[in-house]
Amino acid sequence: MLRFTVRRIASLIVVLFALLVLVFLISRYGGDPVRGYLGANASADAVAAMRTRLGLDQPIWVQFADYLSRLARLDLGTSLATRRPVAAELAQRIPATAELALWTVFFSVLIGILLARVYTLKSRFSGVLRLILFSAASAPAFLIATGGVLIFFVQLHWLPVSGRTGYGPSTGLSGMYVLDGLLTGNLPYAMDALRHLILPALAASLGPGVALARVLADGLSTSLRSAYARTARSLGETESAVLRRHGLRNAASPALSLLGVQVGMMLSSLVVVEQIFSWNGLGQFLVRAIGGADTATVATISLLLGAFYVVVNALVDIALAVVDPRVRLS
Amino acid sequence: MSKPHAGVLEVAGLSIRYTSRTPAVLAVDDVSLTVAPGQCVGLVGESGSGKSTIGAAVQGLLTRETHVEADGTVRVDGVDLDVTAEAGWDGVRGHRVTTVFQDPMSSLDPTMTVGRMLTRVTGSKQESLRWLEAVEIRDPGTVLRAYPHQLSGGMRQRVMIALALARGPALLVADEPTTALDVSVQAQILRLLTRERERLGCGVLFITHDLGVARAMCDEVAVMRHGRLVERGPAATVFGAPAEPYTQRLVASRLTLSTDRQRPIGLPDPTVLTAMRETGAAPDDLEHRWERGDLHWSSFTRERTEVRGGHTLELAGVTKSFRTGGLFGAAHKTVLTGVDLRVARHQSVALVGESGSGKSTILRIVAGLETADAGDVYVDRTQGAGVQVVFQDAGASLTPWRTVGQLLAERLEDLPKKERDQRVRLALERVALDPALAGSRPGQLSGGQRQRVAIARAIVVPPALLLCDEPTSALDVSVACSVLNLLNLLRHELGLSILFVTHDLAAARIIADRVDVISDGTIVEQVPAASMSTDMTSEYGRRLLDAVLA
Repeated sequence: MLRFTVRRIASLIVVLFALLVLVFLISRYGGDPVRGYLGANASADAVAAMRTRLGLDQPIWVQFADYLSRLARLDLGTSLATRRPVAAELAQRIPATAELALWTVFFSVLIGILLARVYTLKSRFSGVLRLILFSAASAPAFLIATGGVLIFFVQLHWLPVSGRTGYGPSTGLSGMYVLDGLLTGNLPYAMDALRHLILPALAASLGPGVALARVLADGLSTSLRSAYARTARSLGETESAVLRRHGLRNAASPALSLLGVQVGMMLSSLVVVEQIFSWNGLGQFLVRAIGGADTATVATISLLLGAFYVVVNALVDIALAVVDPRVRLS
Repeated sequence: MSKPHAGVLEVAGLSIRYTSRTPAVLAVDDVSLTVAPGQCVGLVGESGSGKSTIGAAVQGLLTRETHVEADGTVRVDGVDLDVTAEAGWDGVRGHRVTTVFQDPMSSLDPTMTVGRMLTRVTGSKQESLRWLEAVEIRDPGTVLRAYPHQLSGGMRQRVMIALALARGPALLVADEPTTALDVSVQAQILRLLTRERERLGCGVLFITHDLGVARAMCDEVAVMRHGRLVERGPAATVFGAPAEPYTQRLVASRLTLSTDRQRPIGLPDPTVLTAMRETGAAPDDLEHRWERGDLHWSSFTRERTEVRGGHTLELAGVTKSFRTGGLFGAAHKTVLTGVDLRVARHQSVALVGESGSGKSTILRIVAGLETADAGDVYVDRTQGAGVQVVFQDAGASLTPWRTVGQLLAERLEDLPKKERDQRVRLALERVALDPALAGSRPGQLSGGQRQRVAIARAIVVPPALLLCDEPTSALDVSVACSVLNLLNLLRHELGLSILFVTHDLAAARIIADRVDVISDGTIVEQVPAASMSTDMTSEYGRRLLDAVLA
């Protein structure tokens, strides 16, 4: 297991480095940063001066080394859109997106497991439910989000639909409001943050959740019909022991792999969801940066999201190896 | 609990219907049988005979099925049980009756160590170790920590046997326990089962399609067909002097090392007779001559104008290794080391070896599916249209959405339509398939029919070399018998050169002129098929010979 983990992390580092190179190249050649700063009508002298100031007259590997060292010092430049240091902007927004992403993953898994249970019920009701949910899962996140807003805010007034809290930024350390509220013992604050979270997180997690449920239910029914389940029954195991000891673990692998892929899709839907719910996170920042042709910021956020995706998938692989010995021992 | 003179299994008037389809399928029809303590009763039959349904029923594995109805009584170790209801099975299933299943790869949970599975049954690690020793596992401590995929097929089946016997059942159901294993491993497992049965005194219901295995293992056999018992009695009687025509056919289909190679095997078979008549070379009273043992393959041998001599296939110093592992820690596994192999014109060579011996890799290299790392591979393509392969699993090698006619015509694309249709017809007739089947898709055919389609596709344009990869091992005995006869007919009629890969020496002997034994990626000896049993001298070859059940 240790050997597998070490090898997986080694290959993770290789991929992360490749990602760095890619993002660096895109930020250098994806648009002209000088024009971004100075505008299209700047004089040739000013452009040349800016190029020198930004180090763009240096050879490419010097630029790359410079980029790495600035990255290590968290010197990420200045955002064109807000005219503030990118690092400061990110420090404020990463927890916001992280909180939303974590809850989205949590809801996806919850929906997945609950629905998988419904799938295995043999009733007409579950067939109808399956159809409804399948349609829901086919809808893009923004449609579900808009529908959620219409129903739970406009009609029922149950849930808030804008921002992260009704109180103002948290005083806690993590920047994740629900967690901060709990840590500081401010329960109403945590509840309020949670209420703000529900709609955006659900909007982003419904699709992945239903997909997860299908794979999990398929896996369960396959493993319950498998030869090893039959062996277990023939050895006198009860049906619930067969499910617990043999079914769940064998069904978990495909579901875990799917979750890894779904995290990527979740990230892209979070960008949209953050816009709809005025969630002041990375997604919103990214949209503003794109609008303002702020190449450096876009590159940095892409790097962050990419790194997150790669790391999550490495973790999924390691989790797969824990669940299925064939992965780590072959 | 058990009465002294009662059988550990008493089945009376058992009928089982699957009602999920209309009309309901009668899988088991009024079957009665008894297994006494310490006795081994064989339940013999071909696929679809209902033998596995009986096996599942007496272990209480049908109780959760919703579309099953049953009549009759089943009594296990003195307990009356309903095969369709869960009540009463608690404490019987897994305790009084246990099972060794067919495929030890899929029958053991891949995510669990052997120790965890076994200790669940034995109760303690010491007991588990003791049981692993009892089933002759050499390094029980290591195996206890191993996962199923790290063990060989034979080892996995030993673990399965330990699991089944650890609770000291009164009745052991052995459901094709050696079908997925190599022949030499099969012999070891059968010995182990016999010894443990004698040691523990449990009754055994031995379900198999393999008459040789049934004969070697069982005191009594019951032959099943279409859900009914057609014949039962002491094994020696049923196999020595079968009374029923069906049993006679089954027994005649069985290959041994003394089966006559010069003549068609088994009883006259309408499929093969049809194909023989199509050749135009068949003598008049074909069926009678076959029955009298007066029909020889040589009468189908066509006059050949070309000079004999020369080779269709030559392999010289062929070496192959595979890369395993990922980005880091890659390793090379050598599969073939300096293989020399020749197949002469019109010659048929059987390549015999166990799983992992490299025989399939040779076949894949000759077929062009792999390339050799070093050495020469030469196929004389002037002899016919390249190389064709007939695989073990014909079902998987035929594209499911194409019709049989389309599949066969694939190799005839440059011919005009009329001639194409005629060639397809001819090829189907050669393997005795009704030309009307040209419109069917593979899914609508039986296993034997699919294998014959695969052969027809291979010979629709006669190839220079026909490669066969265990073409009969997935088939029922009588079907395997017709396929072997058909291949032999084609060999004599068309003068095909054949390379036949198998682990079954008896089949190799029938189909081949020469048998090459391969072990660990090297050909260890080459002997004429006719005198195989005396000429084979390599230790490995002898072991394979001993493994063939008499």
